[in-house]
Amino acid sequence: MSLGFTEAQVQRYARHIILPGIGGEGQRKLLDSKVLCIGAGGLGSPAAMYMAAAGVGTLGILDFDKVDESNLQRQIIHSTADIGRPKVESATDRLRAINPTIDVVPYDTILTSDNAFEILEPWDVVVDGTDNFPVRYLVNDATQMLGKPLVYGSIYQFDGQATVFMPGQDAPCYRCLFPQPPPPGTVPSCAEGGVFGVLPGIVGSIQATEAIKLITGLGEPLIGKLLIFDALAMEFTTVKIRWDADCPVCGKEPTVTELIDYDWFCGLTPGQVPPEAEHGVSTTA
Amino acid sequence: MIELDRGFLDEMVEHGLAVFPNEACGLLAGKEDRPIKFFPMRNADASSDRFSLDPGEHLIVAREMDQEGWELLAIFHTHTHSGSYMSDTDLKHAPTWYYPEARYLVMSLLDRSDPLVKAFRVVDGIATEEELVIA
Repeated sequence: MSLGFTEAQVQRYARHIILPGIGGEGQRKLLDSKVLCIGAGGLGSPAAMYMAAAGVGTLGILDFDKVDESNLQRQIIHSTADIGRPKVESATDRLRAINPTIDVVPYDTILTSDNAFEILEPWDVVVDGTDNFPVRYLVNDATQMLGKPLVYGSIYQFDGQATVFMPGQDAPCYRCLFPQPPPPGTVPSCAEGGVFGVLPGIVGSIQATEAIKLITGLGEPLIGKLLIFDALAMEFTTVKIRWDADCPVCGKEPTVTELIDYDWFCGLTPGQVPPEAEHGVSTTA
Repeated sequence: MIELDRGFLDEMVEHGLAVFPNEACGLLAGKEDRPIKFFPMRNADASSDRFSLDPGEHLIVAREMDQEGWELLAIFHTHTHSGSYMSDTDLKHAPTWYYPEARYLVMSLLDRSDPLVKAFRVVDGIATEEELVIA
């Protein structure tokens, strides 16, 4: 039990345990941590796989969708043999294969205002791997109200973004930047606009990095900073983002004080499961 | 109270002077409060005002201590530009996570010809000096 680790843990996590900045203490924090990944798609795939490998002790994965052949170009947590399976089932198998020593908690469901608090409450950190605005606003609002850090990532074609929304007046939330969702039909999804397959691999890995930094206290998390990635120019740009005192959720006088189910795009109503991911309403990027 | 043979103190002074002006650090292992081996360790911060045990060395030392059935008796480090006390930085970065009941040996090298070492116990982030007897 060197440093409180079993020999098997020392073997598995040796490269972390000997790494200044993480060491045994950081690895113990990872093993004791609980991270929920919203979405088992393009962003959730690398984020969850790296967090499982890193030894995040309890890893939640939420998705309502089934694996479609068109997902496999970027959603590397799933395999060809998984086509047609629920994504959380496929993802859970993969995560347990990577690291059978962690607890994987699957949620085969849609996040709604009815279940969001209950689902999000047990987790230390939430990773947003969604690609639609109703869930993105729901996750932002719920994590702000619960006081939980949210690791945000988004992708569109060849461009990606990532940041950390830490509840509190020192840092902004998603609504500080975008107080209201865009009107349905005005923003194309991956299915409608296309997406460079490797892009979510990069952004999702950045999200895993930020989640691990939050857990271990290592480095400077992307709080109050938006990282913008341009894959074609291969440029990373960081811009400052500020807390908005007039923010409807985290401002001085909040106007959004309960969770809202925004209309799903493409004419779907809250709780209605889209027939196929190609229709652009998948939970995941 | 901690009793320390002069031979261990000499090893600590030697290690402290070897990495001066950076802070030196190490672990004192033993059994039933009797020091058996001093492990001079690399300061991963390579700094003159703070220290952290190199985690790779720490793992190797911890394994040796486990194999030998030794306990950690004290965490040693030097102050190269200040006195023998637990500074705010020490208290903030002390490896108390591993060793919540650990004692600390702080050696001041303000006067390198006359190193001054004191012992402390840290509980809930508060350091209290303990008697140190050099035999």
